[in-house]
Order: sequence, then C-alpha cells, then structure tokens
Amino acid sequence: MTSTSSGRYEQLLKDYQTEYRPQREWSEGRGFYLIVGHFLVGVAAGAWLFGLFFQDLISLLAGFVLAGLGGLAHLANLARPERFILMMLRTATSWVSRGFWGLTLFLVGSVIYLPSLMFTDTFWQSDSVIASAGVAISIAGSIIMMAYMGFVYTASKAIPFWNSTLHPVLYISYALRGGAAAYLLSLAFQGEAVAGGSDILVFWIAVTATVIVLWLFEIQGALTSGEEAAVRSVHDILAGRLALYFYVGILLIGLFVPVFLMAGIIAPLSPTLFAIIGLSSVAGDFFMKFSSIKAGIFMPVRLQSGNTRRATRRRKI
Amino acid sequence: MRWGMVIDLKRCIGCYGCQLSCKAENGTPPGVFFARVHKQEEGQYPTAQTTFLPVLCNHCDDPPCVDVCPTGASFVWEDDGIVDIDADKCVGCRSCMLACPYSQRFLNDEPRNYYGEQGATPYEEARVQRHQTGVVMKCNFCRDRVRNGQDPACVENCPTIARYFGDLDDPKSEVSRLIRERSGFPLHPEKGTNPNVYYLPA
Repeated sequence: MTSTSSGRYEQLLKDYQTEYRPQREWSEGRGFYLIVGHFLVGVAAGAWLFGLFFQDLISLLAGFVLAGLGGLAHLANLARPERFILMMLRTATSWVSRGFWGLTLFLVGSVIYLPSLMFTDTFWQSDSVIASAGVAISIAGSIIMMAYMGFVYTASKAIPFWNSTLHPVLYISYALRGGAAAYLLSLAFQGEAVAGGSDILVFWIAVTATVIVLWLFEIQGALTSGEEAAVRSVHDILAGRLALYFYVGILLIGLFVPVFLMAGIIAPLSPTLFAIIGLSSVAGDFFMKFSSIKAGIFMPVRLQSGNTRRATRRRKI
Repeated sequence: MRWGMVIDLKRCIGCYGCQLSCKAENGTPPGVFFARVHKQEEGQYPTAQTTFLPVLCNHCDDPPCVDVCPTGASFVWEDDGIVDIDADKCVGCRSCMLACPYSQRFLNDEPRNYYGEQGATPYEEARVQRHQTGVVMKCNFCRDRVRNGQDPACVENCPTIARYFGDLDDPKSEVSRLIRERSGFPLHPEKGTNPNVYYLPA
C-alpha cells in the first residue's frame, strides 16, 4: 500500500498550484516509454520504406526490429497493458487506435515479406503474390505509423503547443529523416557508404531542411497563437528547462555534427563517418521528439478576462 | 434530456465543500479530484480580487476525451448526455487527460491512502479501494444519485446554494432560466467542446 507521501502525489499537488502545469503524463514515469515508442516507431517506418526502395535487407530488418521494440514501448506506456487488444476498437475517431492498427499491419506485412528475402528456399519467393501482399500491407502500416503520432498530439486539445496542424507533417518528416539515417547506418555496416551514400546524403539534407522549416513555422504559430501556454512551451525549449536538450541534443548532435561531417571538413567520407552521421541524426531526432513532448503545458482553466471584468463592474454598481 | 450544471460565482465562497462532499460521495483516492476549486487572483493591491472557480467535468456535447479514447472506455450516455468512463475498458493510455481542456481527468495509478503508514482506514477500504487502479477517473455527475432522483453530491452539499443541476434541454428548467437571465457562460468555449457546465458572473 502506498501512502500519500509518494513523490508523484506531491508533484501532482504542486502542479495543481501552478497556473501553467507541465504535462507529465506522456513524458515521466511510464510516460517516458511513449516518447521512446514514438521515436522507435518513426525510425522503423522510415527505415522500412528506405529498405523497400533500395532493396536493402538490413534496413528492412532494422525497421522490423525497431517497430517491435516500439510496440513494446507503447505497451509499457499503458497503465493496463493486459487490455491492449481493446485499442483496436475505436478507429473511427481515435488516432491512438489507428496507430495501433498501423503498427499491427506493419508487423504482419513485414512478417509475411521478410522470410521471402531471408529464406529463399524455404518460403515463398520475394516476387510472389504473398510477398507482394506483405509489402502492400507493410507500406500501408508504415504510412499510418508515420502519420498517426502527429495527429495524436494535435488531438490533445489541452496542450496548445501541440495543437498545430503542421505536427503530422513534421512527424512524417522526422520518420523519413530517421529512415535516411538508418539506411546510412546500414550502408556503413556493409562498407558501401561512399559508393551508395551520396544520394541518400542529398535526401537527408533535403528532409532536414524541411524539418527545420516546418519546425520554425510551428514555433511561429505557437508564438502568435495567443495561447500563453504555447508561448511558455516555446520558451521552455529555447531558454528554459529544455534548452540543454535543444542546443546540445537537437542543434549540436542532430544538426551541426552531421552537416560538419558531410562537408568533409574533418576527414573524407568513409563508412565510419557515415555511421556517425546516421547515429547523430537519429539521436537528434530523439531529442527533438523528447523536447517537444516534454514541453507540453496544459492550458490554464480559468475565467476569461472579459467575464471577470464584467463581474467587477457589477459589484461596484 | 441533457443534464447540466450552473455554478453561481456570486454565491461561491470558496469553502471547498463541493470538493469534500465529492470525495466523501465517490471515495476518490488521493490525487483524484472530481470536483476542485481554483483560486484565481487578479489585479494588484489595492484593487486585487480573488475569484473562486469551482471546476468539474464539463460533460461536453462534443467531448474530445471521448473522441481520442482508443478503446471506447470514455463514452457518453445517450439518454442523458453524461460523459462517463467504463473502468473495465480503460487501458490507461492517458490520451483523454491530454485532450480535456478542463484538466478534469485523473489517473488512479497506484493504490494510495490518506494516512500514510497507518494503511487504509475502514472508510477507505469500503470506498477508495473499490476503484480500479491503472485507469483514468472523472466526475459522472453522481449518475447513480441522479438516476435515483437526487442531485449530485456537490450540488446537495453546497452551503451557499451556488450550484444548480437540471435539464438543459428543458427551457423551463432552473438551469436554463439562470443561464438565460443571468448571462451564464461556459469555460473555454473557443475549444468547441460545447460544455454543459455554465457559470454565472460574480
């Protein structure tokens, strides 16, 4: 039996005494697993699509394993994980439910397709109808996986910083950036980085530029939304409790290090360098998701100033 | 029929009677508050003023918490419009907590009691322990009481009669009349949730 003196309870009471209450549901305690889950699932979907496009088995396997781990992280986020199957019930309105279906489709499709590549003599051929069906199912699943996360945040009406219509596009861009990074790692692992990696580097630069532009629009939207909670979220990221993650994790590790290495300033491009670029890009994506989720602040529940003014005026009369 | 509540801010004295009676009625564990009272201070000395804002689930006509729920655990009773939770279906994903613009949902994440190492009191054994852990909880307008013809506990126990409960679909009901005659307003209408809890200006 736990008493009221537990840290979480004290924290809750403290939070309720502040006007701008940071969300902890999806970032602390078991909520941290959701950040991990969203990160892994995004990279998995991107890696799978790149693997299919370039017919790269390592990327495909990485996508499958990461999606499985992401699914487990999602389960760990639930307070009642034993009831997870019920999450399939509300696809009509719930993006969490749709995401669950996306992950399920992805895993089913990849389980159908991967054996055709790995065990050519044992199972069906990679150009068979069954394998093609697996590919189609997995692509549908990975597209849902990439998109659903952004919609989940957008649907969270209590957190003004997340109420951006750009969020889904941003999360799709993260997933593609993660996929490009995973493919770079795969090439580095195979020692083919220099030969096959230049195209992917160009793609990485393009998608990173897209992420930066979208992110700037999102910040601008938050600052001009008229929602003080959203402004505080931006402040937390740029100059507050999350600034370290932003400047070191996102900008330095996730952006400057890869760009610096790509420019070939330290050393000529090599598999090792490509691996470092891939890893730092993925790490930057994690910090990006971590800080934007952690920066969520609940909109305050209060009387609007018009109502209070009207009340004051009546009292004087 | 659409149950709704009107809270008269002119009458509220911030006694927390609603919060306590709600806890007594529903046996909510520590950290779970179906009814709360916010103290809101405005202005500066010597013209500062404190407003008490009692809050509870707004039982919205378009509840975002129901839309985001992946299992159907959050639902609206069709016959009276009350937003409720089926604890047996809740997976504890907490999406609804982040969707509710009024912050009126709470996760009962672990067994807790009010008296620390002493363990649960007989009262807590009887009332608090009946709630499932790992699920989200919220006010349901004391639906069992309402179905028995009683008012919700917070309405019944408000010492200043600051709370009114009734059918918002009935234009002759007291709640409808108060909203009409005293310019009742909901909280955060800009969120498009169409709340069924209204406030009368102080």
